[in-house]
Amino acid sequence: MRHTTNQAITFDDVSFAYQKAPVVERVSLRVAAGEMVALLGPNGAGKSTLLKLATGILRPSRGQILLGERNLRTMSRDEVARRMAVVPQDFSVQFAYTVRQIVELGRLPHMGAWGLARAGDQLAVDEALRETDTAGLADRVFNELSGGERQRVLIALALAQDAGIVLLDEPTAHLDIKHQIETLDLMRRLNRERGLTVLAALHDLNLASRYFPRLMIFRNTIVADGTPSEVLDAGLLSRVYETPVRIGILRGEEHLSVMPPSHGEAALTTGDERPAAVHVFAGGGAGELMMRALADAGVHFTVGPLNTGDSDCALAERLSDLCIVEPPYAPVSPEGLAAARERLLASAACVICPMPIGHGNITLLETALDARRAGTPIILFEPARGLARTSEDGDEDATWAAITARDFTGRAAAVYRALAESGAVWAASPAEALLAFGATRATHSVTS
Amino acid sequence: MAEVTEKRSGPALNAPDTGATPASEALPAQSPKWGVARMTSLWRAYPLVALTVALAVAMVLAGAIGSVAISPVHTAKILLNQTHLFHFRASWPAYEQVILLRVRMPRVVGAALVGAGLGVSGTLFQGLLRNPLADPLLLGTSAGAALGATIAFAIPGFFAMQWFGFGMVAALAFVGALLAVALVYRLATHRGHTPVVTLLLAGVAVSAVLAAGQTLLITLDSRLALRLGSLYLWTSGGVNVQSWAEARIIAALVLAGTLAGVWLAPALDAFALGEEMAAHLGVHVERTKLLIVAVASLLVAAAVSISGLVGFVGLVSPHVCRIALGPRHRLLVPASALVGALFVVVADMIARRVVAPSEIPLGVVTALVGGPFFLALLRGSGATYRW
Repeated sequence: MRHTTNQAITFDDVSFAYQKAPVVERVSLRVAAGEMVALLGPNGAGKSTLLKLATGILRPSRGQILLGERNLRTMSRDEVARRMAVVPQDFSVQFAYTVRQIVELGRLPHMGAWGLARAGDQLAVDEALRETDTAGLADRVFNELSGGERQRVLIALALAQDAGIVLLDEPTAHLDIKHQIETLDLMRRLNRERGLTVLAALHDLNLASRYFPRLMIFRNTIVADGTPSEVLDAGLLSRVYETPVRIGILRGEEHLSVMPPSHGEAALTTGDERPAAVHVFAGGGAGELMMRALADAGVHFTVGPLNTGDSDCALAERLSDLCIVEPPYAPVSPEGLAAARERLLASAACVICPMPIGHGNITLLETALDARRAGTPIILFEPARGLARTSEDGDEDATWAAITARDFTGRAAAVYRALAESGAVWAASPAEALLAFGATRATHSVTS
Repeated sequence: MAEVTEKRSGPALNAPDTGATPASEALPAQSPKWGVARMTSLWRAYPLVALTVALAVAMVLAGAIGSVAISPVHTAKILLNQTHLFHFRASWPAYEQVILLRVRMPRVVGAALVGAGLGVSGTLFQGLLRNPLADPLLLGTSAGAALGATIAFAIPGFFAMQWFGFGMVAALAFVGALLAVALVYRLATHRGHTPVVTLLLAGVAVSAVLAAGQTLLITLDSRLALRLGSLYLWTSGGVNVQSWAEARIIAALVLAGTLAGVWLAPALDAFALGEEMAAHLGVHVERTKLLIVAVASLLVAAAVSISGLVGFVGLVSPHVCRIALGPRHRLLVPASALVGALFVVVADMIARRVVAPSEIPLGVVTALVGGPFFLALLRGSGATYRW
């Protein structure tokens, strides 16, 4: 109905600080009437503060906020309430108000001084109840409703307010997935049918990207603003949320998804943003030096599978981004192997430490060979090489002697040989391994 | 039930019944002409009318009862003649009219005003503080009034002085109550914000300090020790209206306060959703909060000045009304005024008559009668009443 192109909310160089710590810094943004915008960002990024500034509950310490054409500062609470409604997180109400009584409060800004209702008020309330499918709850006591029902009533309250703009502060925070979807479906329908301007602070990046044509990533200021495909960038999100994430398209889906950098899901990474991380095969204490060296060099790395209780495991848990864990003394499981393969494909390189090789973990070497053939740089860390580096031959002999000495399957040497032939690099020390890793990265970035 | 809900067309945003009296609902409406069921349906259709009628009846009875018995019919006729709308022939001895108009009615009217003031202020405080335990005497008013009264008792000669037709005790109790709340509000306000929890805590702290001051004063002042009995009686509560002039001033305050309460009703409903939500619904939160506290405190001060400390009325009246009528404040505020008035008029009648010619302190009666009544009501409404 309200398909005007003018601005609904305008922030013009707005800053705000609680005490002295700046929470919102020099934000300028425009939300046009009829838009549906999601405000995303980590906890404590100031999303709620931004919404409170928009509602006029907080006053900016610098800059100005316009509602339509008018400066928020010059508007009375009544005037603001007629233009903008707010749907809070779930809350409880003192005293046993019924749903209808709660929704009727949405008419407050339209009523006269004595709170006398007009016929139009009843119509607006009835319509709000109908739109949100809460008419059947009208005579129930609000506090006795379930979380999803309450959320619908709060939206009905906002609709009864008959404001062109609706702000939602984490509307789905306390809801299960069914009610999250119902709530966002409802908001999208109201946006399309009524031309409602929607600005919602949300936590769930994936739900936001499915329902909102425009996403704003906020962390004290606007970090990114655009369509989901523009904004959902693994590097950007990893920086903003300070945790590695992956962006991909789940099988059978059409939307981008944000995922943790782990394993298991059948996801296709979009490829080019392979994180600069190393995967380490270790065990029995063989990985200690390597892991410490990587951590000291500030290289992100993942480890595993390792058995719980393995001397490398505790260190890996502490230093690595991710450690794939198996039960104590168990052979590598198919799941562990799949996870390792996933990591190998996602990592910039793989380091194989001089670990004892048994029937339980020979599969890891074979997986590494597959990965090498698929293009992953592999570094074979072998301290024995440094000990007898008098001649090229002595080096080779010592290497194979060492490998045979810790091989309990009789097949390890063959796999190592195949690895070396397909381009894996030898390193005699962690330092050499790091050098080799640096070299592979250089070539990798040239080729990609 | 169906017939009842249809009758309750009333104002558009009227509070629907929240299943208030389940017991009577369950019975089929086979009513004798003026039976309980008929009364119930009148109550449900027009609760304020029903309460006004009940209050009028109670006031006539309270006027009729006393050391000199006057027939209720005479009482009603004398009172109706005072409105100048009726002209009943004087079929009663002249002294009855004198006793009624000069002695009894100021006190009965005073009792009604005390009850109305406490009832409305209780509703306002409970709504503002979102706390079912809030009592109008909580924010320092009682301690302030008591200290004011103690000072009036302590200063020689002061006791007999008059101020706008008020005794000095009433005047200083009034001023003390208001000053105490003003202090509490000032202490709880930081940068233009007055969180209600801070308000409650400041109220408790200031009350404690003022009570200590009162005790100190009594201990140090030997003259005061002699008047301890009358001070104690004042603190226990008892309606003491000396003239119509006094009653008129209190009536004006209570009426204005009640109207202001009705005017504030929509904001009070919004406060039930929390202060932030109230702001989103167009309420100027801090301004309205100050207004609510000011109105409620004025009502308490007015009530306390002519009655001393009468407990329980401000706590119970809003709850009784909420159980029966639902939480909407536009109905709740006037209903609490009427219920509070009814409560105190009846309690005062009991206080005067039970051990006549002596009297029981009013505060004792309100607690002894109100407490068990309230508990019975709570247990009776059991599952249906939630704060």
